[in-house]
Amino acid sequence: MSTSTTDLKVGDVLLGLDRIPVMPARSLLKEALEAMTRRRLGIATIVDDAGRLLGIFTDGDIRRMLLKDQKPFSALFVDDAIRHANRKPATVRPDLPLVEAVRMMEDKEIWDLPVVDAQGKLLGLLHLHPAVKRLLGI
Amino acid sequence: MIPKTITVGYDNQVRHVTIGGTQPLAFLGGPCAIENRDHALMMADRIGVICDKLNIPWIYKSCFDKDCRSAPQSFHGVGLNPGLDILADVRREFGVPVVSDFSDAAWAGPTGEVCDLVQVPALLCRQTTILRAAAETGRPIHLKKGQFMSPWNMKNSVRKIEAAGNDQILLTDRGTFFGYNMLVNDFRNFPIMMETGYPVCFDGTHSVQLPTSMGDISGGQREFIPYLVRAAAACGINALFMEVHDDPPNALSDANTVLDIQYLERVLSHAKAAHELRLELLDKWGEDRVHLDD
Repeated sequence: MSTSTTDLKVGDVLLGLDRIPVMPARSLLKEALEAMTRRRLGIATIVDDAGRLLGIFTDGDIRRMLLKDQKPFSALFVDDAIRHANRKPATVRPDLPLVEAVRMMEDKEIWDLPVVDAQGKLLGLLHLHPAVKRLLGI
Repeated sequence: MIPKTITVGYDNQVRHVTIGGTQPLAFLGGPCAIENRDHALMMADRIGVICDKLNIPWIYKSCFDKDCRSAPQSFHGVGLNPGLDILADVRREFGVPVVSDFSDAAWAGPTGEVCDLVQVPALLCRQTTILRAAAETGRPIHLKKGQFMSPWNMKNSVRKIEAAGNDQILLTDRGTFFGYNMLVNDFRNFPIMMETGYPVCFDGTHSVQLPTSMGDISGGQREFIPYLVRAAAACGINALFMEVHDDPPNALSDANTVLDIQYLERVLSHAKAAHELRLELLDKWGEDRVHLDD
């Protein structure tokens, strides 16, 4: 039985924790970059010991950092990733209708939305490509 | 990040010294090498009188083994057990915490049994076995930045210590190689190493060393000690390290850089005043942060 696009929820499409970079709070920037490359995503999530989302770090953050923070690469690489992270990222709950989440991504001009529960614990990531594919039924 | 403090002193035989944050500037000092018991006790007595007069919390520093000497005939030290016995006597006699470095991982345990602070030599600051051994003593660790290391890469050494279960670290700058036989001090090192959250220290005597500049021994330019110390204190160090001797020309180790004790009160007075002035200025005008806002 196919699900109507209006019935689709964020939780139906999210990428689980095993498919996205999930970095402990004390991770180095270089470790986050390597994880992003390994997962082929332009975003890393940073969580505390309880798995609660502390911030996110994106390709865009890297670009802005390189233009602003002109210290040597060897120094940047050993910065704590959280230092360069967005600590107040937009997030969504898994029961949010997928259409609304994609609209939110359009409004904010972002490609990814971390998905969290009521306690702020990271559940996964809503990535634009699979979300759109699902909505288009392809 | 809230700066960490470390407390040096593991029993009530000694006065405990807390280093970091807005604590008073601490002093780590003594002869480079333990020469003999009488000399060690005499130096501890004389340094203690000066520190008590200036109300500066301090830790007696002297090493039982000098494994990094340039020449085979240079004084190598009194040895592990005799040296630790002397440091234990200093502790007991003067109630002052003590620190020695160690350059063989097997010596870490005995060093930590006596010393309140265990020191990792700069030249060994990235050796995993040494760092792990230091961490496993359970004592606070005085980790000196290698002359060949960038300040940011000290974080790798810090992480090795943390991974071994120890988060009591004091990070010290003792100069950075500038070509051969020459050190320079880059005062950016202090705020950069502070980013680890741990307290930072300046080694005012090794920083003026000219490593192995005299062929088979190191030279030095001790005339620069007061300038560098005052600048480091103003920069925001939490502790000052200086090797001190009553007879520098005849010191058995680092004769070209140790500070003559006749100048210790003067140099410490400047350092303490600069440290206190900095805290007053921060209190009045706010932090050093001048980043552009996002």
